[in-house]
Amino acid sequence: MSGMKPIHINVLLAFLLALTVWHAFRKTDPPASQLRLVFQAEANGQKLVFDQFHYKNPNGPGQFRVQNFRFYISNIKLSGEDGTYLEPDSYHLVRFGAGNESFAVELNNIPLRSYSGLSFSIGIDEQANASIEPRGDLDPNSQMAWNWEVGYKFVVFEGSLILDDAILPLVYHLGFDENRRDLQFSLPAEEQLSSTSAKNFKVDVMELFSGASAFNMAQTQSVKFDRQDARRLAENYAGMISIAGN
Amino acid sequence: MARQRWIATAAAVVAIGTGASYVIRALPPDPTPVADFSAPFVFGRFSVPQDNPLTEEAFALGRRLFYDPALSGGNDRSCATCHIQRLAFTDGLPTAAGLNGESLEFSSMSLVNLLWGQERFFWDGRALSLEQQALLPIENPQEMAQDLEELVRELKGSRQYRRMFRQAYGEVSSENIARALATFMRMLISAGSKYDRFLRGEAVLTEQEELGRKLFMAHPDTKVSLRGGNCIDCHSQFLTSGFRDGLDGFSNNGLDKDVDLPAGLMAVTGNPAHKGFFKVPTLRNIAVTAPYMHDGRLQTLEDVMDHYNGGVVVSPTLSPLILEADNAASPPGSFVGLRLTDSEKAAIIAFLHTLTDEAFLSDARFSNPLEGEL
Ligand code: HEC
Ligand code: HEC
Repeated sequence: MSGMKPIHINVLLAFLLALTVWHAFRKTDPPASQLRLVFQAEANGQKLVFDQFHYKNPNGPGQFRVQNFRFYISNIKLSGEDGTYLEPDSYHLVRFGAGNESFAVELNNIPLRSYSGLSFSIGIDEQANASIEPRGDLDPNSQMAWNWEVGYKFVVFEGSLILDDAILPLVYHLGFDENRRDLQFSLPAEEQLSSTSAKNFKVDVMELFSGASAFNMAQTQSVKFDRQDARRLAENYAGMISIAGN
Repeated sequence: MARQRWIATAAAVVAIGTGASYVIRALPPDPTPVADFSAPFVFGRFSVPQDNPLTEEAFALGRRLFYDPALSGGNDRSCATCHIQRLAFTDGLPTAAGLNGESLEFSSMSLVNLLWGQERFFWDGRALSLEQQALLPIENPQEMAQDLEELVRELKGSRQYRRMFRQAYGEVSSENIARALATFMRMLISAGSKYDRFLRGEAVLTEQEELGRKLFMAHPDTKVSLRGGNCIDCHSQFLTSGFRDGLDGFSNNGLDKDVDLPAGLMAVTGNPAHKGFFKVPTLRNIAVTAPYMHDGRLQTLEDVMDHYNGGVVVSPTLSPLILEADNAASPPGSFVGLRLTDSEKAAIIAFLHTLTDEAFLSDARFSNPLEGEL
């Protein structure tokens, strides 16, 4: 190594010095806050049972089963003492199924230390609804897309009703801009955010039929494009999500 | 002194590192990423496994393997025996032909736009990646009946294959055979049909095709006088394949009653709610892939439309969307089927014909590379 020219050693030294300085001054990132929004599908206060004729039509005759239940939530916003945080590309498909009665949406890198307000929409904003750009969980080639001229379904419920031995299909595909519902939750106290924080919600599927207005599924077995029917069910789903006692 | 030694060590590490990276780069030539790889925006997201990037060398190797009868035990059939390019990589048979002339259980599937749609392969979704899928027909005693070790030995004996494997991956191995075949199949992209050109604003659909498109894309709703074929409930609007998310791309479209219903996806998931669920196939190039359905039971697109229109068989796992879709208002439960008019059925069929991509069916890049050599 004695053959090494001094200039080379200097360059090397400068490099090593720079490296040390960089190391010493590199800020260790504060542990990023995370929040898991955990949605639990329920019916009548119990975990939702899929695929079995387990439930009584709440406002009419017949027993029904749930085969598919999912919805979009979007534009999640947290606010707390040190500001507000709007999740970018905030479009999440909350989906349940047999064995997957709970679904978690994970918010990462939240630049807040705590929060006391939380809001999101059921459904998506007009601009996203009119676009075929894949953002978040929006996918125009998915089950949630009607077609590009109509937009996305916000809430999907599919199942069947047994009535006098006949199996009748239940299809509620609910969308349209006017049926987005903005939900606001305020917590009694500021809650700290850490890398393991979570908030639990219950999603009561029965609210869809017996919320603000009583809906008889035997009478109206499907809702898709009829604006009035869709709005009735939107009024109902606006109340289906609530914060669960931890 | 100690400090000098430390500097010397650091310098040596740098020197060795630089030298080594030079040698590593010099050894096998870096495979060339597929140039200008682009996919239609409307197809949406896709992913390629990190350990098997799309490269020209892997594609060339995969293409050759796909067409090479050496992949079968008797050197008498290749993947292309059952996946023929001009038939959109199907074989025109109701169900594939086994090695001893027997009919296999399932119909050969079209190989197109496999980067999108379901991330499970085969009618019942049992393969979880194309890499995993690719070796199964080779080993299957009724399909190609080849022992993988034997195949690797055979390919190692060929100078050309040794060179092609070296350029694409390194050594000749069954993993690399699977990777190369998967790469070739991922590149089978069809985006030049009249429908694609319509979506890009380069073509106009005829009045009949446009009516068919509208019906394809609409779930009927008698309450608002909306007529529809509800195809989009399962065949996605741009890809026309099944959905990608979870198991959304599998369903029961009403071919059989419960006692005759094959297991389908239930064989893979063990869930009785999946009995008779099959992979919703792409409808791209559907006009050239007759006969239809997993067992080729329907001869023509007219037969397919008659099925959805009034031939649906009810079973407990039948899709509620099929059970419900009806263009005529009637007492609930009294009829299952779309009840479209003859001209509406013909319009949907006309739309299905706009999904034929002549350029894809005759694209020289996907043809048999061995033909020139023989
Ligand atoms: C004997 C005829 C035959 C041969 C040879 C054959 N296949 Fe197939 N292929 C089929 C059949 C039949 C199916 C459907 C089988 C099933 O679902 O069980 C299929 C399905 C597939 C699929 C699934 C497509 C999808 O959308 O899920 C892929 C991929 C495929 N084959 C690739 C290949 C490759 C690669 C080879 C050669 C190594 C090959 N096949 C050889 C008959 C054949
Ligand atoms: C409930 C979901 C669903 C709906 C709605 C639906 N399909 Fe299908 N389709 C499927 C499934 C699943 C298969 C494969 C079934 C099998 O082989 O077991 C299929 C198969 C097909 C095939 C045969 C493809 C092949 O390669 O053999 C054609 C053609 C087809 N569908 C066209 C249509 C058309 C046109 C419509 C609208 C009129 C439609 N489908 C509506 C689920 C659906």
